[in-house]
Amino acid sequence: MLTSFIKAFKNLFKKPQTIDYPATPIVQDKGHRGLIEYGEESCIYCLKCEKACPPGAILFVPVQDPSQNEKNKKGLAYNYNPYLCIYCGECVRACPKPDEALWQSNKKPQVAVKSDKVNAEWFVLEKLKKQEKTK
Amino acid sequence: MSKKTIHIPLGSQHISLLEPVRFKFECENEKIVGVDSDVGFVHRGIERACTTKFKFDAIGYVVARVCGLCAITHSLSYTVAIEKLLGGEISKKAKYLRILLLELDRIHSHMLCLSHTCENAGFEAMFMRIMGDRELVMEIQELLTGNRIQFDYISIGGVNRDLDVQTAKKIIENLALVKAKVFSYIDEFTNNWSLSLKFKGIGALTLEDAYRFNAIGPLARACGLPIDVRNEIEYLPFDEVGFKMQTHNDGDINARNMVRLNEILNSLEMCENILRGLPEGEIFTKLKGKPKGEALMRFEAPRGELMYYVKGDGSAMLNRVRIKTPTFACIPAFSHIFMGEEYADAPAILASFDPCLSCTAK
Repeated sequence: MLTSFIKAFKNLFKKPQTIDYPATPIVQDKGHRGLIEYGEESCIYCLKCEKACPPGAILFVPVQDPSQNEKNKKGLAYNYNPYLCIYCGECVRACPKPDEALWQSNKKPQVAVKSDKVNAEWFVLEKLKKQEKTK
Repeated sequence: MSKKTIHIPLGSQHISLLEPVRFKFECENEKIVGVDSDVGFVHRGIERACTTKFKFDAIGYVVARVCGLCAITHSLSYTVAIEKLLGGEISKKAKYLRILLLELDRIHSHMLCLSHTCENAGFEAMFMRIMGDRELVMEIQELLTGNRIQFDYISIGGVNRDLDVQTAKKIIENLALVKAKVFSYIDEFTNNWSLSLKFKGIGALTLEDAYRFNAIGPLARACGLPIDVRNEIEYLPFDEVGFKMQTHNDGDINARNMVRLNEILNSLEMCENILRGLPEGEIFTKLKGKPKGEALMRFEAPRGELMYYVKGDGSAMLNRVRIKTPTFACIPAFSHIFMGEEYADAPAILASFDPCLSCTAK
């Protein structure tokens, strides 16, 4: 009985387990798995990341006005879907130039809204990729 | 007077359940005399997807999504099976890091189970305390792998991230805190009326029945059946890091809780040993080729033996991936335990099994 009283009294002065969010911001760890970021200038267009990605969240599709990168002979453009990505980092490990062409940040993706057209636009890209493969 | 029985369902949605399972109890007054179970509510066709949609090197990430709590055991079992087919040895450091995460996962999974046992006993404060303390383990898992639950830490040929000195220091600090907390839980689980006396003799399984119904995991160890895959496999050096079998003789809910608590203590000891004696070396060895042939791999998930069967024909797509999960193997024993118990005890008994339905239905 006495010990439970002492415990209950001590609990009055205990700090809470929870964080007072948003007054206290949540500190994101440096190694937290976040968005995959891409450096267009250093990319050599080997497409290893595209092949390695388990859910297929990276697609290189041909475009009308490709970037001026001299390695980009096929006129491709990098497309990344953060809502399909599982943040495993397999693409970064496959990349021959990690930290320059492709790296993993600790940033979280924005919440997708309807105006982002995440699904419809991405399905068009997937279709394009499929057509390119069958050619 | 004719004997009349009434049917009372528990689930598929019920206040005491975490996951969708349905038990149909046939009751005579308050006593359960018949049990029927249905476990297939969350079937996602993962085995089929593994052989049709994904290449073998991506499946490690697919099977990790079978279950949130034992994600590491799933991806590890699959990866080791593929490594067996590809041939080649991975470094000792990678093996040690794999055990480290496996044991951290076991600690947080057991803590979750214990907290839900408390919740079903009506001890909400203890539930919140254990869930709060579980954050200490989740925190170090995030530091080590970058994620709280879906670790994606294991890859074919080793592990994805190295352990730096600061992380190791933080892990040791947090594990020491957890250890002190676990001793206080053992005290509560032995001396508190709601948790020990109320649970003694409830939901008991005898050693003979454990053999008969093929019980595995903490359920079997609580009946005195010394069965643990960590003791039997040689692939990961569990004996080097100080694995000790934890058994109990009573077979009731209290015995299962005590086995889990002692396993947490043993896992903490193993983690400490790993961190203090981590060998030098590479964390990743590149393995080449495509899987050809058959491989069978067993690992001890927090709930018991997990088995993977993989068959490949030398192409990137596998022919067959078969997953045998611990909860599925324990369903006959679960049904047997319910017989003769009171209906009011059913949620508490069910929580003590720690069933994982997303594993079972996959």
